Amino acid sequence: MSTTAMKTVDCRGLSCPMPVVRTKRAMDDIGEGQVLEVVATDRGAINDLQGWAKHAGHEIVAWNEEGGNLRFYIKKGN
Amino acid sequence: MGTITAKSQIAPSELQAKLSSGEDVFVLDVRAENEYFDWPIDTSERVKTLNIPYFLYLEDEESVMARLPKDREIVVVCAKGGASDYLVQELRQKGYDAKNLEGGMLAWSQIYDVKRVKEASRGRTPFDLWQINRVAKGCLSYLMGSEGEAMVVDPGRHVHPYLQLAAEHGLVIKHVVDTHLHADHISGGRRLAELTEATYYLPSADGQDVTYPFTPLNEGALIRVGESAIETVGIHTPGHTPGSTSLLVCDELLLTGDLLFVASVGRPDLGGMAERWIHDLHKTLFGRITSLDDSIHIYPGHYGDAREFNQDGIVTATLGDLRTRNPILQITEKDRFVEEILGGMPMQPANFSEIRRVNNGVKDVTDAEATEMEIGPNRCAVSE
Repeated sequence: MSTTAMKTVDCRGLSCPMPVVRTKRAMDDIGEGQVLEVVATDRGAINDLQGWAKHAGHEIVAWNEEGGNLRFYIKKGN
Repeated sequence: MGTITAKSQIAPSELQAKLSSGEDVFVLDVRAENEYFDWPIDTSERVKTLNIPYFLYLEDEESVMARLPKDREIVVVCAKGGASDYLVQELRQKGYDAKNLEGGMLAWSQIYDVKRVKEASRGRTPFDLWQINRVAKGCLSYLMGSEGEAMVVDPGRHVHPYLQLAAEHGLVIKHVVDTHLHADHISGGRRLAELTEATYYLPSADGQDVTYPFTPLNEGALIRVGESAIETVGIHTPGHTPGSTSLLVCDELLLTGDLLFVASVGRPDLGGMAERWIHDLHKTLFGRITSLDDSIHIYPGHYGDAREFNQDGIVTATLGDLRTRNPILQITEKDRFVEEILGGMPMQPANFSEIRRVNNGVKDVTDAEATEMEIGPNRCAVSE
């Protein structure tokens, strides 16, 4: 999955609201249908990224948690 | 346009003081909708709350700002105080008198509001009674005092409010009671008893897995506060837990723990044996409780929303009142009671089995872990 991501946003060590703030900025720089990878450690990001993506019209195509890192793959909507 | 006050932060205690004095407050809750609906900051009418998740602001500043008042203070709230602070800095630059609730809901969950219950000093046997409300969680605890002695019932995890209250009134805490093994919050009972060298009571049926010593609180247990003044008798009222024991104080008031609330009753499913405990619950509510006098004032261990307060800001009602008002007490027929309650059980409190393990003394947690573990409302009632 990660091979299809256009760009990675590293939000490790950042707490709310920065993971969503940075993800939003990065999303503005990629094209429709392209996938952004986000790595975060703040567990609040799970609910917030989902809420934000839903409102902004993006799709979280997958997410997982490994060794304390949360990894999200978000496809940009139109 | 209103003036922007110099401070960009509001401490949880300041917010509580405003609410307690009846001041109108405007709250902007910037958590995601699901988090807000699960655990709103206050449901009373004097608090106007707008829930706009902070990420909506990131997407569209203008439409969010259009919904905010420019002529009054806005208290901005989130889970831990990070996103709300971010928004407060933005809004203040744009002319809004926004203030960040420092530490967010986590800090708010540690606030206790202390109210004196005036009825207690007007009864046949006058004594001092305070209802201590952990506002964010809707957890109620009590301190009773007479002749220099005090008893604390169902104390929350933070022992400071009880120590302070007792000290202010020259009372020595002699007895600390947990009416049952709690599943929604970590009890401060054991710690408070240790610090004050008071006797710590817990019903024996709830103490079977408990790893520390306690004095059994069972049917007929008599606890006196002061030489002669407050006489408290234990009444075994199982249902929420097998050991749940209510305290009848001076034959005039009943501390019901999590058996009976003003608008609901305690749920029977937090110990994994709902099918068994619900029979106890029915029997207690329509047997033991029914045999008590209508004039008895009920003081519960929880409330769900602001409608359960009386005009003095106390959560209480007479038993007679509850017999007509409390919706669950209307379902007398047993099969229907079992079916309706087990069929409509709301979401369980966060981390309830872990919290029971902490209260059993089986698991140790740090202060920070305890705070995280206790997030969310109490959810101890069978109905929301």
